Amino acid sequence: MALPPFDPGSFPGEVTLDHTIDGSSAEFIPLPGDMPEDLALALRSRGINRLYSHQGLARSAARAGRHVVVVTPTASGKTLCYNLPVLERILERPESRALYLFPTKALAQDQMVELGEMTSRLPVNLLVHTYDGDTPAGQRTAIREAGHIVLTNPDMLHTGILPHHTRWRRLFSGLQYVVIDELHTYRGLFGSQVANVIRRLKRICDFYGSSPRFLCASATIANPRELAERLLEETGVELIDVNGAPRGERRIIFYNPPLVNRALGVRRSSLLEGCRIAAPWIKQGIQTIAFCRSRVSVEVMLSYLQHSLHPALDAKRRVRGYRGGYLPLRRREIEAGLRSGEVTGVVSTNALELGVDIGSLQAAVLVGYPGTIASTWQQFGRAGRRSGSIAVFVASSSPLDQFIVRHPEYFLGSSPEEGLIDADNLLVQAGHLQAALFELPFAEKELFGRSDVGPLLDLFLEDGVASQSGGRWYWNRESFPAEGVSLRRMAADNVVIIDTSNPRPDVIGEMDQFSAPTLLHEEAIYLQEGAQYHVDRLDWGEKKAYVRPVEVDYYTTALNSLSIKVLDAFAGPEGQPLDRSHGEVKLTSLATMFKKIRFLTHENIGSGPISLPEQTLHTTAYWTSLEDIAWSGIDRDRMEAGLQGMAHALRHVASLRLMCDPRDLGAVPEVRSPFTSKPTVTVYEVYPGGVGYAARLYELHEELLRDASELVAECPCAAGCPSCVGPLQNVEGAKNACLSMLSVSASVA
Amino acid sequence: MPPRGFEAVENAYGVAWRWAEVLSVGSLDRAQARSELAGLEADDFCFLDTETTGLAGGTGTQVFTAAIARPHPNGVELVQLFLAEPSDEPAFLAALDLELRLTPGMATYNGLSFDLPLLRTRWLMARMPGELTEGRHLDLLHLARSLLRPRFESCTLRAVEERLLGFERDGDIPGHLIPQAYFDYLRNGASSDLEPTLEHNRQDVLSLQHLLHRLLHRLRGADPTMEAGDWHALGRHLLRRGRRSAAWRAIRAAADLGDVDAAFLVARRKAVVLEWRLKEPAAAMRVVEDAIARIGPEPDLERRRLRLRGRLDRLDRRGARERAQVVHDVGDPGRRRAQDGAQSFAFSDETGEGDDDLRVVGLS
Repeated sequence: MALPPFDPGSFPGEVTLDHTIDGSSAEFIPLPGDMPEDLALALRSRGINRLYSHQGLARSAARAGRHVVVVTPTASGKTLCYNLPVLERILERPESRALYLFPTKALAQDQMVELGEMTSRLPVNLLVHTYDGDTPAGQRTAIREAGHIVLTNPDMLHTGILPHHTRWRRLFSGLQYVVIDELHTYRGLFGSQVANVIRRLKRICDFYGSSPRFLCASATIANPRELAERLLEETGVELIDVNGAPRGERRIIFYNPPLVNRALGVRRSSLLEGCRIAAPWIKQGIQTIAFCRSRVSVEVMLSYLQHSLHPALDAKRRVRGYRGGYLPLRRREIEAGLRSGEVTGVVSTNALELGVDIGSLQAAVLVGYPGTIASTWQQFGRAGRRSGSIAVFVASSSPLDQFIVRHPEYFLGSSPEEGLIDADNLLVQAGHLQAALFELPFAEKELFGRSDVGPLLDLFLEDGVASQSGGRWYWNRESFPAEGVSLRRMAADNVVIIDTSNPRPDVIGEMDQFSAPTLLHEEAIYLQEGAQYHVDRLDWGEKKAYVRPVEVDYYTTALNSLSIKVLDAFAGPEGQPLDRSHGEVKLTSLATMFKKIRFLTHENIGSGPISLPEQTLHTTAYWTSLEDIAWSGIDRDRMEAGLQGMAHALRHVASLRLMCDPRDLGAVPEVRSPFTSKPTVTVYEVYPGGVGYAARLYELHEELLRDASELVAECPCAAGCPSCVGPLQNVEGAKNACLSMLSVSASVA
Repeated sequence: MPPRGFEAVENAYGVAWRWAEVLSVGSLDRAQARSELAGLEADDFCFLDTETTGLAGGTGTQVFTAAIARPHPNGVELVQLFLAEPSDEPAFLAALDLELRLTPGMATYNGLSFDLPLLRTRWLMARMPGELTEGRHLDLLHLARSLLRPRFESCTLRAVEERLLGFERDGDIPGHLIPQAYFDYLRNGASSDLEPTLEHNRQDVLSLQHLLHRLLHRLRGADPTMEAGDWHALGRHLLRRGRRSAAWRAIRAAADLGDVDAAFLVARRKAVVLEWRLKEPAAAMRVVEDAIARIGPEPDLERRRLRLRGRLDRLDRRGARERAQVVHDVGDPGRRRAQDGAQSFAFSDETGEGDDDLRVVGLS
């Protein structure tokens, strides 16, 4: 077997992992004898004469009336796990219906094509439709009346289907199966929102007398069954995680580009290094996929790769880009080109990480850490030829990347990431409770999922949002509550970050309103994925920050009077000499001015005022406080700077463990916390009310301290850099102080 | 406490609150037009309007009052139902169903897209058996738009009342206050805006009854207030209904009253009939040139003139002068009819149309 070649010696950086995973052969079972003959014929006509073992298990569990979650790698025939029981049931009982949920419209489209392939081979007229924002108005009535399988997304279910459930009574009355693909994407805030949409869905099903089974599919995460059980609020979900599909041999490589500036911790561009790895493969006709972190870097890498090929090779046709913003038709063409082999190289955002069918490629290059171990395996999995494949992760300078590239054992060990949700987050739940009330009146003592919402309903009554009549609560407003709730973010008032350097301004990110005054004030240097941006203008009314990329030798830091008030400690303090607690907090933040600090010398080279309103945030947090012994021998200045570094490092390793975006968390150092009376670092959730991260961090306390201490200890920078402790004030020995505070506790713990 | 004047009526689902009165309506100028009424008589229709807790639609919008007007030997019978408690909805809907069963037809204003879908949703939400009785439905908004636009840019019931029916409401409650009036009533047991809301609802159905008859008169060309644009709109409406002879009479009337677009339509039709059915290109040419002289340059007529010029030139070359001479004497059937005088006649309401010379040339 010939794997695509990779010689570590020919690259200047460091290969920290070179690992080969042996292939495995397939485990088959024959097509079940009790399957409807028409379906068996249709499968055979597609060349499917037997099933992989996991497909058979999923089918049996679904037919036995269980809720199911299937966890198997990319390209292992996952969709058949849910399509089989669904199609069988509809063939047996034509009035049966199924609802499929995908996190994006494109995935629903993709699955419709796949299902159409199957249903066109069946002798009955089985109707499969997507229903989303793009569905023409003229088709909607027909879909509502007659669609056997409706493919949609949680957002459309939330605003377009549930509030109008009477138009969908055929679907809800006959609903046998709800398919939730890409289950692992429903975590954190989004997952908490979707859990509430599912509560509403189940209420409506109950009204129409149906009680559907949920069939879920997930990428590898630590707790798929737990996530499914929390999302669905069901117990006894059947987990199927033994893959019966064959795997080829796979070589996995972690590559850390060489340092170019030791003091700053700046390394050679991961993008250019990624090109150097991918270009020779593409030249040799080895089908390669490269993943980039942003749309802009996709385009940059694409043009590098196209230029590196000989003109005669028709680079424009053979090397393609793929990302959100491309037209669906163009995407379909690229996908087909990848399947047929006509396209040799593709550069993509994580748009190609999820289940879009592009066949199995030979090589994958990940430019920058995708953020989670689950995503990394998904992206690696795109290279999965039976004949063998190779996948390379090229680290950037960011703390997460540097931690991962230096800890391959962490990556290879059993997946530590978990999908966490908190369906009972008060703000999330309150929004959906209004939507649920709009959809059907609430009966006395009726639970919302498992949650007793009596007190909330009484509050609605008081506010005039609800009225009570005949022992039931009724919606009492003109408005359409589902429209006020966006599933993808907490509030509509996030600050949107817009890069104005392109002719067509590009949204590069969002930031919560609480953090924005300190990081996106005018003249701030905003850092994203290792790139520097200058904030030209912040329109607070419109919640828009206009930025452009720059390369400067300074960073900005805002003077911010931030105070934390602990409202309620749920657990702790506990442990020595760094104790731990978690609970409910109120943060108040007022940014007053900013300073420009030069790298290396840390000299102050300018300053300016910030005049933005004070922000408050009610949320949940985890905090750890230092006993005196933890900082014995460290003077107060260095202790203060060290705490700052600790906060930075803890926040990053916490996001790693929690499988969330680092920006979902904030961290504050306090030299003397009014609550604990000790030096304290608090890691808080930026979503009001929190989604359950803080409680989990409390449990992960020891791992966090250990990870953070390793992150700082192993960083080759001299005195602290953005890759480990973050930009530090000009304090000699602060990195060491930080390290010693972290490690003293980690060693004791 | 239900509002004053409402009485409890019990049905299988509980108690509904009903108010009823017979009003003598002396001034109603009745008209009939079976072709517009799906084969029914005007007196077969009741008039329905609802007030709701919002315009957003969806399952959380409730109907809290419904007014029904129906013809009565002494004038008009006005009935109103009121939902005093949201939990009484099944009884409210059952009572409404009973009212709607009394006439084979029902007329609404925008009921097709608003009131009826909402009532069907409520029916399902209240777990009522079968379906709400709807009868033959006539949405007067659609008929009003068809006959009154473009002269009326707005066809809200209020605008139509003022401009067509010629009356203004005194102290009418603005629509956007209506949901809150009901919410206040639910919350406090009373609301000063509730009575005006109920009055508004009753007024709406009375207006609908007047409106139907006024529109039916228009359909027969028997409304003396009609202007050129109205005739034109009527013509187009009749064309859509497939009533071609009546339609062209209306369009000619519009042209004679100075409506330029109608004049163009008439000229084009004449030219088509002359050129293709009667094979008289020279006469068609005169119609076209005459029309351009009267109404100014118009692309369709200009194209027609060019083509006719070419055709006539070819005929000339073939030495067909005599033939062109004969054509002139046959005359122009279109003009003859136009001279009959358009404003004075009211045409009959026959659904079966007799001769229609346009069908021959396939002009739509």
